[in-house]
Amino acid sequence: MQALIIALAGSVNRRTWRGTAASLYTRHALRTTGIVALALLIALMGTVSISIAQEPSLHPTFPLLDEYGSNVLDSGNPVSTMKTCGKCHDTDYIESHSYHASLGMDQFTEAGNVPNGRAWEQSPGSFGKWNPLIYRYLTPKGDELLDLGTPGWVQSVGFRHVGGGPAMTTPEGQYLPSVTPQKDDPATLYMSPASGEAILWNWQKSGVVEMNCFLCHIPNPNNQARKNELEAGNFKWANTATLFGTGIVNKSFPGYDWNLEAFTDKGELARPYITLQDPDNQNCGLCHGEVHTANNTPFVRAGCDWNTATTGEIISPQRLFRTGMNLQDKESLSRAWDIHAERVVDCVDCHPSTNNPVYFEGSKDQSLSHLIFDARRIDIVDYLHQPSHDFAKGQSAQSTIAPDYNGTMRRCEGCHDPNAVHDWLPYKEAHFNAVSCETCHIPKMYGPAFRQVDWTVVNLDGSFQNECRGAEGDPSEVTTLITGYNPVLFPQNRLEGNTPLAPFNLVSSWYWIQGDPPRPVRQFDLKAAYLDGDNYRADILAAFDSNGDGQLDDAELRIDDQAKENLVKGNLEALGLENPRIVAEIQPYSINHNVTNGEWATRECAECHSSQSRAAEAMLLATYLPGDVSPQFFGDEKIAHAGEFKTNETGGLSYHPDVAKEGLYIFGYSSVGWIDWLGILAFLGTMLGVIAHGGIRVYTAIKMPQHHEHKYKRVYMYTIYERLWHWIQAIVILLLIFTGLIIHKPDMFGIFDFKYSVQVHNVLGFILFADALFSAFYHLASGEIKQYLPQPSGFFHNMIEQATFYVKGIFTDEEHPFEKTPQHKLNPMQQLTYFSILNVLLPLQVVSGITIWGMQKWSHLAQGLGGLPVLAPIHSLIAWLFASFIVLHIYLTTTGHTPLAGIQSMIDGWDEVEVHEHHAA
Amino acid sequence: MNNTKYVWLIGLVVTLAIVIVPIVIFGPRAEAKRDNPQAHLPQPMNHTDHTALMTGPYETGADVTKACMDCHPEAGEQVIHTAHWTWESEPIYDPDRQEFVTTGKKNSINNFCIGVQGNWPACTSCHVGYGWMDENFDFSNEETVDCLVCHDTSGMYVKSEGGLPAEGVDLAAAAQSVGSPTRENCGSCHFRGGGGDAVKHGDLDESLYFPTARIDVHMGEYDFQCITCHRTENHNIKGRAISVSVDNKNQVYCTDCHNETPHNDERLNGHTTSVACTACHIPTVAKKSATKIHWDWSTAGAEDLEDNAHSYLKIKGTFTYKKELEPEYYWFNRTADRYMLGDEINPSESTPMNKPKGDINDSTAKIWPFKVHRASQIYDTGYNYFIQPKTVGEGGYWTEFDWDQAARLGSEATGLPYSGSYSFANSEMYWPLAHMVSPKNDTLQCVDCHSESGRMDWIALGYEGDPVKVGGRKIDTTSQAMSQEGDQ
Repeated sequence: MQALIIALAGSVNRRTWRGTAASLYTRHALRTTGIVALALLIALMGTVSISIAQEPSLHPTFPLLDEYGSNVLDSGNPVSTMKTCGKCHDTDYIESHSYHASLGMDQFTEAGNVPNGRAWEQSPGSFGKWNPLIYRYLTPKGDELLDLGTPGWVQSVGFRHVGGGPAMTTPEGQYLPSVTPQKDDPATLYMSPASGEAILWNWQKSGVVEMNCFLCHIPNPNNQARKNELEAGNFKWANTATLFGTGIVNKSFPGYDWNLEAFTDKGELARPYITLQDPDNQNCGLCHGEVHTANNTPFVRAGCDWNTATTGEIISPQRLFRTGMNLQDKESLSRAWDIHAERVVDCVDCHPSTNNPVYFEGSKDQSLSHLIFDARRIDIVDYLHQPSHDFAKGQSAQSTIAPDYNGTMRRCEGCHDPNAVHDWLPYKEAHFNAVSCETCHIPKMYGPAFRQVDWTVVNLDGSFQNECRGAEGDPSEVTTLITGYNPVLFPQNRLEGNTPLAPFNLVSSWYWIQGDPPRPVRQFDLKAAYLDGDNYRADILAAFDSNGDGQLDDAELRIDDQAKENLVKGNLEALGLENPRIVAEIQPYSINHNVTNGEWATRECAECHSSQSRAAEAMLLATYLPGDVSPQFFGDEKIAHAGEFKTNETGGLSYHPDVAKEGLYIFGYSSVGWIDWLGILAFLGTMLGVIAHGGIRVYTAIKMPQHHEHKYKRVYMYTIYERLWHWIQAIVILLLIFTGLIIHKPDMFGIFDFKYSVQVHNVLGFILFADALFSAFYHLASGEIKQYLPQPSGFFHNMIEQATFYVKGIFTDEEHPFEKTPQHKLNPMQQLTYFSILNVLLPLQVVSGITIWGMQKWSHLAQGLGGLPVLAPIHSLIAWLFASFIVLHIYLTTTGHTPLAGIQSMIDGWDEVEVHEHHAA
Repeated sequence: MNNTKYVWLIGLVVTLAIVIVPIVIFGPRAEAKRDNPQAHLPQPMNHTDHTALMTGPYETGADVTKACMDCHPEAGEQVIHTAHWTWESEPIYDPDRQEFVTTGKKNSINNFCIGVQGNWPACTSCHVGYGWMDENFDFSNEETVDCLVCHDTSGMYVKSEGGLPAEGVDLAAAAQSVGSPTRENCGSCHFRGGGGDAVKHGDLDESLYFPTARIDVHMGEYDFQCITCHRTENHNIKGRAISVSVDNKNQVYCTDCHNETPHNDERLNGHTTSVACTACHIPTVAKKSATKIHWDWSTAGAEDLEDNAHSYLKIKGTFTYKKELEPEYYWFNRTADRYMLGDEINPSESTPMNKPKGDINDSTAKIWPFKVHRASQIYDTGYNYFIQPKTVGEGGYWTEFDWDQAARLGSEATGLPYSGSYSFANSEMYWPLAHMVSPKNDTLQCVDCHSESGRMDWIALGYEGDPVKVGGRKIDTTSQAMSQEGDQ
């Protein structure tokens, strides 16, 4: 018991190491950038390789055991992690509770039966799932052509696998060395690199790769040495190789020698060599991507490879302007790569073991409705004995990896309370519903990520053609300007049930498939179709080498016409492949890291609320389409994307999200075309009518001087209340239309700030609402309401009489058909107009306006009415009608006995009205 | 008639209510008050051109001073009461010694050039007076105040031995140029403490004459002069250094201009009760020129070593210099202990000259950045105290290379007995850092302290571990607010 507690304390005691990042960098630099980078590297290593004095771990001492349970010092055998660590920890439990080990093997099925999978996929996990970026496929049983059998998979992909699982047993659970090698069993076959033939593998000789505790639990595991052993097929030594460099082992042939100085007389590992810890970011980074923890050493990354391939995420506390990369506007970029790395939140803090009693919450659906927190949890002793190595995870774009654990980690809202710090943001709730935290808090990616992967051709070194995002030119040159890229925004179907906009990278890929059921063309065959020894085949050169220099540069090495496609197709067919054809797909990758804090997050309204809305920003998918094949989305079940592909003038392809089809209405960006056109038509029609009518009036007035003598009398027409209501309404409605225009089309009318206009619009709306309520009260209480109610009897007749006056009598200066008195201010047409405005348009506008405003308080109300996509267009249509009405209304004020009399009377209340002799006054 | 009035009144009130009530209820909330340090800056005084007033010619510096005092009769009286003149403090009660002490450059020793006594002419070239050649200097004579060293703006005024104007200085030209003190005036002494550029402070050196924003945001980006922060009234300049002062009166604080919690980030503001602003905002000092961090006097006098200003001088011994120096961090309540001449030392341990006071339980203390200068210096093996040797002038070590004679002559100047036997013992001197404040984008980051390779030795500071994991110190911050006249 005591020992276990000490062990736990030791595991908390984390350390820093700095070696492996440098060595990873070494490989890369040597391969890509040559001597300049090498010189830089040497300088870099000189500074990073300073070892930090390490305190001894509190982990108890222990002997290293081999697979038979004997001390390795006695046997000289490779260390067995399962046996060594299994002395205290339940390593069988750990291995069987680790997606990192199984990689989907427990969901292994026959090829083509994976839900939403490709025809040759056998599992939704990395063991059996196709990844066009890697372009090797685990060959289904019974296939004639073998690409990867299990041994080949371990050799080529195994350095990103912790061991155990498929590196130890068959999907059926048989220990690999006990499987009888057979010609039709991919578990015992590997492809001869020379002939492409399937050859039997001797698992007994190679040994297996046990789940490698050291890889994640010591501060400086040597993944390169491990990779070397894996590639050499020397599987049993792979885990031992991880220790190379710690002083525990020395290299020998065929494996490693145990260094006696690292052990006590009792044969246990000596105290200074026990550095076990809980995994730090560097451990995770070995397989998952780029991690840079040495804050004082400038981070350098040239080119994009698997480290940043899918999204460009870089886990580092370093401020961007301190990195060694040639970033655009670098001096101003004082944000850290990742705020969580900066604030000492490690990978395992958010992705803990799912039975770690410190973190474990239990999933929501199992908890009782009355229980917020279940305090009963696994005892610390039990946890140390059987720590689950299934780690909490979020929801990725594909959600096929470890699907049982989707959504087990705390998301942003699990730790942060966004309500506490977003008071500056209008419509908080509405934004939180529509937009994920990442959308604003990961505004831009600065690490290079893949855009386009082209496996239809092959480089001389067997690698593929690719293009990266966020770099101007070749990103493998350190001098290339890194511009970064804006993620594309899609609504993501979350387990929580909502579909907020979230940021993604899209990687498009092209490759050949063949046969039926289809299989990818093997890399081996692809090379054979293109290469002849160390150079391209003559027929390939003849077809592709347009400048005739005997070499194929990046622009030449692409299938951009039918002849080239036919040539390669023919070459592939000549290898015996059936019906080779090019397919293309787009894989979305969700972006959840490289978060930044509020200072750097998207805050400007115009980023989304303008015609250049981020929500609709297009993403370039490819600069050329190999074989003229357009890619389709793959693995997008979780993404409610809707949009269209557009080809640009240089033959590139981009994806344009369609916000409306995604069910969103974004003020300042969205509009419904026909509504706006209808509104403009109504407005312009009214304008034209008024101008024509007025023109004729002026014309007739000049042509036919007044021939009627009307009698007038001064009448106190409008009380002070009426005038106040009127003018408040008049000003408020004009301002509402004005601010409404800014909100509707900020790019055209945005003379004031969007956010400010929204606030003013809201306040004005409530003034109008209050005004209308008071007015209604006044009219009801005073009985003035009667004036607005058309009298049913003779209404149509009166209407026609009034209309006739407007189209005829008014030009001949006839008497107004109806006498205007304080008791009967409105003529029948006015009554009808006001009746419909006050009973239909105004209420509709008030209700739609308040509901839209209410998005921040009672969003379910707006949702119930169809949400913004319904409410907002109604609101703008009525606004257009109001605008048209105002034009008409102002014009008709001029139809009194003098043009300004109407306005005059609404100011001082006194009107001069015609005295109709035939009516009693 | 009355009725009509009411109607108007009610109508007006209701109308206003209709307009104002929705604005009040639904209008935007005022933005939180923001840190506006610019508002607190002192206004510069109007400059008076003295060209026509100071016609000269002047024979001596004192002649200039007399001319100054024709118009500024109170100035001399003001200056002779300041520490720039007296080189010592008012008597301060020292609770550890249970007596009043006066400290200052006049009587203290340090672990650079040790002390002033007996070495006056060289040391007093930075005294704000004329002619302090020996112990008989008259501190009451206002006419020997050196106005020019602080007020000359011609850049041509230089002092030499005893603080007298250097040979060939055009006193009239200097007198005509007088103005408000600039960084050049203060820097002529304070940037060259320890006998050369960047030697002593670490955060004060000649790079601050024309600093970039990265070196010092105040002086580089906003062109602050020293007196912008070291505000001066009646020639009394605010500011204290624990190299010579032990109390915390008359200090300069960041909060003279900045809010106590100026960050737009709760987590950062949470640090301000325990971490001084300077701790994060001065990530390194000696940003351009290396500063001295170690001085071994015991190797001085060797014949066979080659002189090099940054590693070895025959007259001074062996040095270590460091550029981009990362500070050390200690609790500091802005007061300090002081080693006084004659205090007993334990020669087997390093003796702190001015240990900063404060610890994790001291609510008035915060974690401060320090440059620590470590040295090996001469002490009396008989009496077990540090010796203040005579280094300058006749019989001094720098000419004779004879420690025994230097110790004997030094003893005559200080009055502290010398047993006749000497050796070398370690000492350390603390320099709290407050200049070379970086721009806000270039501060320390969380991981710089809160990680395994971080700068803080949490255990030594009194924490149980990294406060990120074990929590911060539990102190009563209300008592902190009350006991501090201002914050950091």
